[in-house]
Amino acid sequence: MLQKTVRCPTCKQTTIVAGVNGEIVKVICQFCGSKGKVTFGQRLKPEDVAIEVFHLTKIYDDLTAVNDISFRVKKGEIFAFLGPNGAGKTTTVEIIESIRIPTAGSVKIFGRDIKNEFEEIKDKIGILPQEFHSFERLTVRETLVYFSKLYKKHANIDDIIDGLDLKSHEKILYRNLSGGLKQRVGVAISLVNDPDIIFLDEPTTGLDPKARREVWEVIADLRNKGKTVFLTTHYMEEAEFLADHIAVIHKGNIIAEGSLEDLIGKYGKKSILHVKECSDKKVAQVLKDKGFEVTTNHNNDIEIVIEFKDQILEVLSNLRHECVDYESIDIRRSNLEEVFLTLTGASLREEKP
Amino acid sequence: MNPRIILNDFSASVKAWRRSPGTVFWTLAFPVILILIFGAIFSGTDDISYDIHIQDLDDSTWSKQLIEILDNISALTTISVDQEEDIDEYIKENEVLVTLVIPNTFSETINQSFFDESVFVNITMHYDPSESSAGVIQGIIASALQEFNMQISGGYHIIGITTEKTVGEDFSFIDFFVPGMIGFTIMQTCIYGSIERNTKFRKNGILRKLLTTPITRTEWILSKMLFMLFLSFISTTVIVLVGVFVWSLTIHITPLMIILVVANSFLFSGIGMIIGRFVKEEETADMAGGAISFPMMFLAGTFFPLEQMPMFLQTFARVLPLYYVNEGLRNAMIYMNFEKAVYHTAFVVVFAAIFFIAGILLTKWSEE
Repeated sequence: MLQKTVRCPTCKQTTIVAGVNGEIVKVICQFCGSKGKVTFGQRLKPEDVAIEVFHLTKIYDDLTAVNDISFRVKKGEIFAFLGPNGAGKTTTVEIIESIRIPTAGSVKIFGRDIKNEFEEIKDKIGILPQEFHSFERLTVRETLVYFSKLYKKHANIDDIIDGLDLKSHEKILYRNLSGGLKQRVGVAISLVNDPDIIFLDEPTTGLDPKARREVWEVIADLRNKGKTVFLTTHYMEEAEFLADHIAVIHKGNIIAEGSLEDLIGKYGKKSILHVKECSDKKVAQVLKDKGFEVTTNHNNDIEIVIEFKDQILEVLSNLRHECVDYESIDIRRSNLEEVFLTLTGASLREEKP
Repeated sequence: MNPRIILNDFSASVKAWRRSPGTVFWTLAFPVILILIFGAIFSGTDDISYDIHIQDLDDSTWSKQLIEILDNISALTTISVDQEEDIDEYIKENEVLVTLVIPNTFSETINQSFFDESVFVNITMHYDPSESSAGVIQGIIASALQEFNMQISGGYHIIGITTEKTVGEDFSFIDFFVPGMIGFTIMQTCIYGSIERNTKFRKNGILRKLLTTPITRTEWILSKMLFMLFLSFISTTVIVLVGVFVWSLTIHITPLMIILVVANSFLFSGIGMIIGRFVKEEETADMAGGAISFPMMFLAGTFFPLEQMPMFLQTFARVLPLYYVNEGLRNAMIYMNFEKAVYHTAFVVVFAAIFFIAGILLTKWSEE
């Protein structure tokens, strides 16, 4: 759920309004009674919405795993549900997939309520559950044929095998595949019914960097084919690489939502220009005098906070003007890790369930 | 319900089974090995102690002396049968395994033998040939009679023994053992098969995946039951063939035998489903399966007759479903005792209905 502070055009008083991405919320000023509308994020037409989640809550005994969350997923985008282990990602996605029953709230997929119409939706969705391992003693092709035959609608198995680069492995038993290939087969299984939405729950957990990168390319290709992808992950690099839209979940609550640029712009630090082994520290004072936020260390490194792109040129110009020599210069962009740190005070990597 | 989906799942199960040497071994080779080993060990080496029911039609000093000799043999316990009893009815009603009938000419013949050494008298031993110890008991009685002959005549053959089978055919230990192996193998296959489906597939996310596909829980359970029946009939066929060709087993394929194999598959699949529902971890579930199947294997008369066990264990065995499976199969396919076969089959069918329905109701795909 997103929040906005809006100012009443009549009485100038401010009020906080909550809504989900793409939602238009009617507002009545509590001070003067004036009426108006507030749009959250990009306005979405009903036909553009793939998934709608309303006030979803899941409580286990005394643990609230998911706490009144709402969001929308646009058709054709990769929606990343980012959060540490135990944040409520899998609980949420499994409720959307009808594997778990929510304590409260509702979910619609293509406008159909999953509570009553999930059977009609099954042919439109493909799912890769968390830590999925298929039948060990079926080959890759047999596995795909098995799952394909469960559906009325079929994708061409050869196209899937070619598309995921599984041709050379199609006759190998699933149990003999590497972790990366197993995950690729898992993604392939989720495509056998040519679904419109694909749910991938932690698809790269436990994979080495190379295998992870291979799976990312497969997922990115799904977007290129017009599929909607709902991705849960605790890898910020994965969300940064793949996602069009990111919802950050922490302790069952969505604490931020938007595109990567939105989130970094709103919650991230500014970019840092790092000058390594600067020959003259006086330049630091010069930059400070010009209003830059500058820090130095005992290695004669200087770090300058950059708010706008133009400031980079200004800093470089000052370095040349002062005839400063240095080992190297690099610019470090703010990332989702910093966003998470800003929002929760904890690192995404260190966060424990 | 979609038969195409059921057939698809069944075919995948058969392929996966065929490629698992371990599973094929436990389903087919293991029971065959057990039959060969146990058959070799027990063929002709029966040494079981039994109660002997004695009907003394003579009621004389001589007959009482013989009974006393038998009574003094520690391996035998004599039980007196009233003279008025119809011995055939008595054996049938009381399921007596070994009975001796001392004829009313017993003392008269012995008395004559003091003057005429050529006279003799036979006592009659009625026994159940399916009981592996019958030969040993006959040997013990023969020894006792020899001692008695020595006492009364110095060694002349005055008192002999004739035998009458209480059932029509001559049975050996392997006749007893093979039906037990069929019951046991189906039990193992179905319990562990169900446990694998409900714990390993749950752990691997397969059940979660299937929940989001069009296959229904009913179609899944039916296809798996079809697979279990396939395995049950394959292992039954292999066991029977080994019994017939290696141990010259005489077997009758009867409708009750088929019903028992089917009901047995449903019964233990249901038990496996119940275990899988309550025990989530694969390893723990295997242990739970073992905790149920192992005692049942030894206590339900699979490897040796119930009568060899203490009375309290015999009572306990009669509440075990496998006991009724084993006894039902023996009566249906070996002894051809239709009445008993129906009785045991009825128990198995009731057990199967209860446990399978409970298993279906308790099996869940969705998460809590």
